[in-house]
Amino acid sequence: MIKHHPTFELLQSFVNGDLPASLSAGIAIHADMCQECQRQISQLTDQIAEANFEFEANFLDRFIIDEEKDLDEIATIDFDDMIAGITASDEIEVLKEKEDKFISFNDTNYKLPDALHNMVLGKPAQIGKLSRSRIQLDEDEIHSSLLHIKPGGGVPEHTHKGFELTLLLDGSFEDEQGTYVKGDFIMLNSEHQHHPVSEHGCLCYTVANDALHFTKGINKLLNPIGSFIY
Amino acid sequence: MQTNLLCKETNAKSIKMSDEIDHPQLCLWLKAVSENRNKQAFTHLFNFFAPKIIRIARSKFPNEAQANEVVQETMSNVWRKAHLFNQDKGAATTWVYTVMRNVTFDMLRKVKANKEDNLSDDIWPIAEGLVSDDDAYEDHLETENLKAVIDNLPESQREVVKGFYFMEMTQEQLAEKLNLPLGTIKSRLRLALAKLKVKLGENHD
Repeated sequence: MIKHHPTFELLQSFVNGDLPASLSAGIAIHADMCQECQRQISQLTDQIAEANFEFEANFLDRFIIDEEKDLDEIATIDFDDMIAGITASDEIEVLKEKEDKFISFNDTNYKLPDALHNMVLGKPAQIGKLSRSRIQLDEDEIHSSLLHIKPGGGVPEHTHKGFELTLLLDGSFEDEQGTYVKGDFIMLNSEHQHHPVSEHGCLCYTVANDALHFTKGINKLLNPIGSFIY
Repeated sequence: MQTNLLCKETNAKSIKMSDEIDHPQLCLWLKAVSENRNKQAFTHLFNFFAPKIIRIARSKFPNEAQANEVVQETMSNVWRKAHLFNQDKGAATTWVYTVMRNVTFDMLRKVKANKEDNLSDDIWPIAEGLVSDDDAYEDHLETENLKAVIDNLPESQREVVKGFYFMEMTQEQLAEKLNLPLGTIKSRLRLALAKLKVKLGENHD
């Protein structure tokens, strides 16, 4: 059973679209496997949507003193023009069945999570029982990967200078804190030190940043919706 | 003085207004857009959402033109995707919000990471088990990615790579055109390929 979930603040930032693609994908993959988080996300989306579209009224009350100036600002786009332009086209969005994609590690095929379908994966690099394929998201100090551990393999004891997300896509692993299973969303920071080992092998999605940007990165994550509401 | 009075008045009114987002009406308009391509209904939706979207976008993008693009993109998607709105699954405000959030997410990625990979529909799917029918997408993505990596090479290596792979010139032709010894062309190409390999993921760091 899944025991490790994203924090409420992370879910909030996810719904707001404030997280980098790497962490957003991590939460989307977790939510695909976790009904409880799925439910929370849809509830939060309702609330945030409502708050956003009521926002104008509140915003006006708080900040707008010179109403005429405000109207001028809005008028920099011609709404009628835009409406005419949009409705001139009769095209509608056409959908097709999603096709599963697979990735192979150690002669085993794994289904690629939907959230990663259009990300570019690097060729796997092997170090002992570990294979790692970088995901090319170009998010500066944040690196995302698929990490495969063969049975009996592990990651040497390490601490995290920034944050490290490990999302178990398949299999299980153990560390000093216990056993982790498919779907577990494990977010560690510099306070944690661990030495994960996978007795039966596993595939993980990992996201980590680096020490230099620790404060910035973490602050970003913990900063909830911020400017939207105030 | 007068401004203050005005503010108070707006205040009292708006508290009442915010309780009055007319959800059933928004649903009806969306339905009319989806079933009859009803422009009048779309205009109502536009007038309700567009000013709000602009304000929200201005808080996320410093640039006014980008905020306007969010409105343009979001409302185009509302027009093109209205048939995907399912009122049993949630309010119209929720649906439009997700459309706007996805547009914003992809645009921010374009601005910040210079990536046009439009990941939002994979992260927040518009419809379960379905994706946009856009066959050429994947190849396009790979090409874009490769181009971006090549563009980051030093000028001297970039021209050799582009000449050799994109214009299909031989190393000899390149040496002649660039007025460089053949050995220099070869070593630049080798250096460039090593860098590309690292960038494209064959690194062991």
